[in-house]
Amino acid sequence: MSAKHAVLGLVIERPGYGYQLAQRLEERFGASGFAPSGVYSALDQLARDELVRSAGEMGAGPARRAAPRTIYEATPEGVDHFESWMLASSSTPPLRDDLHMKISLCRPRNVPRLIDMIYGQELACLGRLRDLSRLAEEDRAGGSREWSVMMRVLARDAEVAFWNARIEWLQSARELLEQLREEPDRLSVVRPADRLRAC
Amino acid sequence: MTDGLLSLRAVSKSYWRGAHELRVLADVSMEMSAGEFVAVWGKRGAGKTTLLKIVAGLEAPDTGTVHFAGRDLADMSESAHARLMREQVGWVRRAGPRSDLSMLDYVALPLLVEHGQRRARSRAYDALARVGMSECAGQRWESLSDGERALVGIAHGVVRRPRLLLVDDPTANLGVREREDVNELLRSLTGEEQLAVLMTVPGMPAAMGTDEIKVLSGGRLLAQPREPAPQTNVIEFPSRERSA
Repeated sequence: MSAKHAVLGLVIERPGYGYQLAQRLEERFGASGFAPSGVYSALDQLARDELVRSAGEMGAGPARRAAPRTIYEATPEGVDHFESWMLASSSTPPLRDDLHMKISLCRPRNVPRLIDMIYGQELACLGRLRDLSRLAEEDRAGGSREWSVMMRVLARDAEVAFWNARIEWLQSARELLEQLREEPDRLSVVRPADRLRAC
Repeated sequence: MTDGLLSLRAVSKSYWRGAHELRVLADVSMEMSAGEFVAVWGKRGAGKTTLLKIVAGLEAPDTGTVHFAGRDLADMSESAHARLMREQVGWVRRAGPRSDLSMLDYVALPLLVEHGQRRARSRAYDALARVGMSECAGQRWESLSDGERALVGIAHGVVRRPRLLLVDDPTANLGVREREDVNELLRSLTGEEQLAVLMTVPGMPAAMGTDEIKVLSGGRLLAQPREPAPQTNVIEFPSRERSA
């Protein structure tokens, strides 16, 4: 997924110049991994396709030699294009996760290192959830129940649910690997039939 | 020991099923101050409710200490401990009254012995009004929605004006709007009345907007309670990876 539709949607919500849009993109879709420079290439492409256009310029600010900043707004074609994208089906994202593959393919000797990696990822998930919690508090401090706020709550919930599911899976994986580490004999390869007979 | 309202130091708790020890909490330490809003999340059976019970004095830890307002609970007499918990700690449960009480009388219950019915009802009405549920004063528990029950439960928990409110999964079964309403109410109580709120949550969405999220895993709290996301060399955090 490119930043194109996200940037177009933000411009439709409120016109802005490149740096503002990059900041808003980071606020709203921080975990999506869009590069700030991606906003400028998305704006270039959207302008070439006549989906956005200049709505004027802002002063250059304290850096006097810098060029004035172009404020972008959506064209009627841009709004139509965005509506079509909004109504089109969305694909299911692929699960392509490095740690997932490592766990699937790990050998008993890798277990201690994997436990460390999983713990590190749990902490990272918790860190991201705490960041999201701070953003939620800022939204809530606004004291509004307007449409855009509720949509932000829903969008945030999607990311929170992702990290929640991930931290839960990481916990289960770490618990199992820690158990196996404590029972070295179980780290040896056991055929399912032998395992069933042992029960 | 800090100047905080609540301090747990190296608290451990096990339950026994025959000869099998089930370690629910292991070496748990945490601090809370007045006006702080803390959420605790863990998988089912992770020890969230046991943690609340230990803070409320309903269970004693096997090892470790619990200080409330600077006092070690283990050093207090049974009656002093009971009074402290009754007067300064409120507990919000999801289960309502078993009898056919009106919501006004249910919320007034914790005050009846000390204040008499008239005053207890007056304060209960204020508590219901504070959570936006005064219109439900005459209703029965069975007639309320899950969201309304959560709010009445909070009124019941704060009617004694405690310093610490323990809330067990208040948003379980609630929709997004009701969940946001409950959290907003709890947040406003921490802000306006300097009430500290320790809340267990069924999922992370319910923890959003709190001051602090704690994760229970294998009886332990996941480390680094107040620091930003760690930048260690064992992980690559997705949001740090940038692509055009």
